[in-house]
Amino acid sequence: MVGEKRRSTSKNLAKNKKRKGPHLPNSILKTIANEKRPLNSDEEDDEIDSDDANVDLYEYEEGVPEEESRKNNRYDPVVNYDYELPEDFEDENVESDDDDEGGNSDNEEGEGDVVRHTRMLQAVTGMPSAAFDGESKRKPVLFTEAYPESEFNPTRDVLEGKGLLTIDDFMAPIEGKPGFNDLQKRISRMQKDTQAVVHAPLPKPERERLERKAVKGLVDKEFNKWVHMVKRNREAPTVYFNQNVSLGYSTVGAIASEFQPRTDFEKKMASVLNDNELGEAHDEDGAKLLELNEVSVEDHIKYRDHIAKMRSLLFRHELKSKRIKKIKSKTYHRLKGKDLKKSAMGALMDPEMAKEEAMKQEARRVEERMTLKHKNTGKWAKRMISRGLNVKYDGTRAAISEQLQINATLSRKMNSTNDGSSSDESDDEEELNDGSDQDTPSKLIAKAREKTLKTVEDDEVPNSGLLSLPFMARAMKKKNEEAIEEAKRALEEYEEWENSGGEENSKKTADVSGRRVFGATAKVEAPKESRKDSDNFYDNSDSDNDMEGIENNDLRAVRDTASPVRNTGAITETEFDDDIENPASKTTFDVALFASGSWKKMKGCQNAETKKKTKKHVPYSKSQDKKESRDEESEDSESEAEQMVDGILTSASKETYEIPSQAELIQRAFAGDDVVDEFEKEKQEVLNQEVPEPEKPVLVPGWGQWTNIQKKRGLPSWMVREHEDAKKKRTLDLKTRKDARLRHVIISEKVDKKAEKLHTTTLPFPYTSKEVFEHSMRMPIGPEFNPATIVGSLNRPEVVKKAGVIIKPLKFEEANPNEKVDDEHPRSNQKQNPKKGGKTGKGQRKGKSKQKTKA
Amino acid sequence: MKIKTLSRPVDEYTRERSQDLQVVFHNFDPSLRPMEKAVEYKRALTAAKLEKIFARPFVGAMDGHRDGVSCMAKNPNYLKGIFSASMDGDIRLWDISSRRTVCQFPGHQGAVRGLTVSTDGNVLVSCGTDCTVRLWKVPRPTLEDSSVSSENFIEPAAEYVWKNAFWAVDHQFEGELFATAGAQLEIWNHNRASPVQSFQWGTDSVISVRFNPGEPDILATSASDRSITIYDLRMSSAARRIIMMTKTNSIAWNPMEPMNLTAANEDGSCYSFDGRKMDEAKCVHKDHVSAVMDIDFSPTGREFVTGSYDRSVRIFPYNGGHSREIYHTKRMQRVFCVKYSCDATYVLSGSDDTNLRLWKAKASEQLGVILPREQKKHEYNEAVKNRYKHLPEVKRIVRHRHLPKPIYKALGIIRTVNDSKRRKEDRRRAHSAPGTIVTKPLRQRRIIKEVE
Repeated sequence: MVGEKRRSTSKNLAKNKKRKGPHLPNSILKTIANEKRPLNSDEEDDEIDSDDANVDLYEYEEGVPEEESRKNNRYDPVVNYDYELPEDFEDENVESDDDDEGGNSDNEEGEGDVVRHTRMLQAVTGMPSAAFDGESKRKPVLFTEAYPESEFNPTRDVLEGKGLLTIDDFMAPIEGKPGFNDLQKRISRMQKDTQAVVHAPLPKPERERLERKAVKGLVDKEFNKWVHMVKRNREAPTVYFNQNVSLGYSTVGAIASEFQPRTDFEKKMASVLNDNELGEAHDEDGAKLLELNEVSVEDHIKYRDHIAKMRSLLFRHELKSKRIKKIKSKTYHRLKGKDLKKSAMGALMDPEMAKEEAMKQEARRVEERMTLKHKNTGKWAKRMISRGLNVKYDGTRAAISEQLQINATLSRKMNSTNDGSSSDESDDEEELNDGSDQDTPSKLIAKAREKTLKTVEDDEVPNSGLLSLPFMARAMKKKNEEAIEEAKRALEEYEEWENSGGEENSKKTADVSGRRVFGATAKVEAPKESRKDSDNFYDNSDSDNDMEGIENNDLRAVRDTASPVRNTGAITETEFDDDIENPASKTTFDVALFASGSWKKMKGCQNAETKKKTKKHVPYSKSQDKKESRDEESEDSESEAEQMVDGILTSASKETYEIPSQAELIQRAFAGDDVVDEFEKEKQEVLNQEVPEPEKPVLVPGWGQWTNIQKKRGLPSWMVREHEDAKKKRTLDLKTRKDARLRHVIISEKVDKKAEKLHTTTLPFPYTSKEVFEHSMRMPIGPEFNPATIVGSLNRPEVVKKAGVIIKPLKFEEANPNEKVDDEHPRSNQKQNPKKGGKTGKGQRKGKSKQKTKA
Repeated sequence: MKIKTLSRPVDEYTRERSQDLQVVFHNFDPSLRPMEKAVEYKRALTAAKLEKIFARPFVGAMDGHRDGVSCMAKNPNYLKGIFSASMDGDIRLWDISSRRTVCQFPGHQGAVRGLTVSTDGNVLVSCGTDCTVRLWKVPRPTLEDSSVSSENFIEPAAEYVWKNAFWAVDHQFEGELFATAGAQLEIWNHNRASPVQSFQWGTDSVISVRFNPGEPDILATSASDRSITIYDLRMSSAARRIIMMTKTNSIAWNPMEPMNLTAANEDGSCYSFDGRKMDEAKCVHKDHVSAVMDIDFSPTGREFVTGSYDRSVRIFPYNGGHSREIYHTKRMQRVFCVKYSCDATYVLSGSDDTNLRLWKAKASEQLGVILPREQKKHEYNEAVKNRYKHLPEVKRIVRHRHLPKPIYKALGIIRTVNDSKRRKEDRRRAHSAPGTIVTKPLRQRRIIKEVE
């Protein structure tokens, strides 16, 4: 019905459109009408009716020339419908097949007839012509005639014209008779009530088409409801299909209850277990159980014998242990204990024993090595082998192999122990050698002193045990003090020796004594103070001078020069370093540099002025390294050094020093290296490498040199030509290079085959830009490069499934309003949100955010 | 004063149990490992090579039929069971794990063309050219099946004779109905001797039918008039129909995307359609060189398997234009039916050489129990390979497949033909007024029209 209505409306549209159209001659119109018909009838024959014909064709307002319309007299003049349908009655024409089939109608009369007709009507009725305009205009009729006119094929005029009977004609005679009014009322009601008219059913194909249209919409709706799930699935990085796995039976009892015996054995078992007789016997008293529980005589005897045997063994063991326990001889027990200890366990228990054992083992090894007793060197073994008895008798062979085994084990272990001992020895030797290398008495003394110091330092009060008791601690303290005293004395003694032995050693002793708190002597005290002064001075200078570059360099140089002096001065370095802004490590590093003679390298970095000054100090450092004899005492050297330090600083402040300009500095810094030239050379090299120069053609010696003529001719022309070509080609190549005109640039055009492998020629499909593609491979995903917590998620495949788990098709779920808003039905979700999502905060938040966006 | 010290609390490195893995501390600073990308690339290459080495897809063949295998049906409720029917009317139930016949269902006089099992796995429906539909009770799977090879025969539970020969049958998902395809589409109930519904649109016979697993009342058919039609049982009417240039041999619905279906076409391609918009294929899956005879979706919905008249089985991604895998053996003849196992791990093919063949869905997959660490390793290899699959070296190894000579040659010919067509088209376009020659996109090219 819906479709029908739509059709009717479309027809209306068509009627409205009818007014316009090209002015075609009538003959063409006819042919059009003829052609249209079969097209329609091809699909649905039943559909065609006069009205459809009306719809399909154009309406012409102009009249058709009469001579043309009457050409073959086939089409009779017909007055158009004068029967006007109400507005909502149009559809009736669809069914009015009977009328139309019979009726011949045409509009061949054209406009002329219409005009005449209206004029006539006007004359008859006396109404203005405008009243009949609508009537005249709504005729889009073209009827073709299949058969000639006859009494069987009456014209439309006869059927619809003036002679047409209406209900009124029938009603007229009975007017005034009883029941007339009632009848008239009913008829008028019938005429008005168009809805009650039952239409003829639509043709089947048409009906089915309409049905399909409806079904299509429903099916689409049905499919659409899955969209959110499909979308979610497709967008998910991983889809899981291993989630709802029923593990079956979870308990042993459940499994057992389902157990069905299959094999013979199982069946036998089941038959016994499920035996009613047995069950009953259990339930009652067990008397019957005895009957069922028959045991064969043989089995019983066997079991009894076994028990008896075990018992007798136990008894014997008991007897033996009793007898041993009864023995009172201490020697016996001692020997027994020794035996026990000798075994591996014993050796493990007692370290003394172990040592002894090891010694013995060692002795055995040595003996073995000396004698080779077990290496078939024995008399017996020799004889056996010479006579071939070892091959003949198994026992002999076994004995010999056993001997060899013993030898092998002994010698193997021997090697390992030998290694250890030898290394120890070598260590000792090294130490001795060290001593002997620097055989100077001073060294020895230093060593002795160190050792004494160590002993002094090592004396620590233990925290626990007997020694931690107060009186013991006191005693220890006293002892320590004594020891320290002694050590001091010893040290002094060393000093004396040194002084007497050589002046060069004096410095060291002073140094050491200076470092230690307990060894603070008057000699050291004085320089310390002076040093502090200088320290202050350093501080000031540092804070004053904000010029970094050069000035700092100067200072460092000064410090460097000072540092060896400091060493000689025996000053606690830490104090000094704390005052200076630089950390201690740096200074010590500098010192190390200085001491190792790399000072010269550093010279390059420093200014000429400082160089000059530092040079003065170099000999000192060197002298220190080589341990050359000095002409001054340590004290003197110290003081001198101090003065020098002061001198440097003062001189630095006094001299008029001009800071060179930046350009000058750079020039100085890079004096001597011609960068541009170097670059050009480099570029030339690269060019030669990438576009190699052609080889000069060379004649093989002896070839073509037989005669003078040949010699005169020189190289064959083709060789020369080839060479020329190659040269030309090279110049061309060089010109076409990208960097041919860029003087300061080298653009390598060498294709790296290995790097080629790591590039794609085109951007792969899902990626839209190069950056995204490169980013996709940026971070590594391996377990070595990522924490274990995220490796799993980085490597997870798109589909996680488990073999053996049946995957069911998708089940429909309603869209969760708390999830992301679906693109398909955003509006409906919005409506639902306040209702459904009201429970959770998330939904509320979402609602709010939406309101915000709206605002 | 703050003193920096190295600390190593005992708790951090002590294992709770002796079986626990030792905790290893890593410094993940990328500056410490400058070569990580190179390392991973190398691993990807190795993984690709290993995949090739371990690619042994063929698990085994099941022989027993005396004629070409015409159709198969998988038991949706039991993984190990697969039904197959042959052209001589023989129906068998196979045990996949032992690859033996469990029982036979004798009775059909002519070729069996359709086979399907109800969702609960209790009823087997078969139909064939002898104009009968037979219902069988499926024997309960017991543990003895695999051990005892007794050939037992089963009598049909019901036998319905009808007017015309049948081409295909499919059972509704979780329902009582099944549909047969023959001269027309008919819907049957288990307990009725005649169809409860019948659909006819046009006069040509229907050659395949498939119910939608997600929407149990919607089904799709293909007919010999080259059409694909979607029906809705609730409205008892067709919904859509398209006419293609060539006939569609089989249809499969995507079980995870109920609106999408893929059609196996006679022209050697498969066409994925959206059921709501049939005038254009969503994707054209090309690779077969001859008619695609059967198609079945993986239960994951991400892949489908096709069997072709060119004696090969291929596995396609649901949204990819070309196949991921091709399976062939020297002895395998025309493939008439394929099935993806219910756990998406295996693929079965039945061919003209009377054999059923069992393949792994992923050629290099390790079967059996896999330890978690092993699993992780596999996953990592896969991920790394996937990441670098676009680089030439890896791509070459991953994509390479050995093809049988006939297929290789046919592919060459097809390529030549396509090239020349394209050339001709280009020239024609170049020499005619702009806009006069309109080329249809590939996805529409083989579709003639959508019928209202």
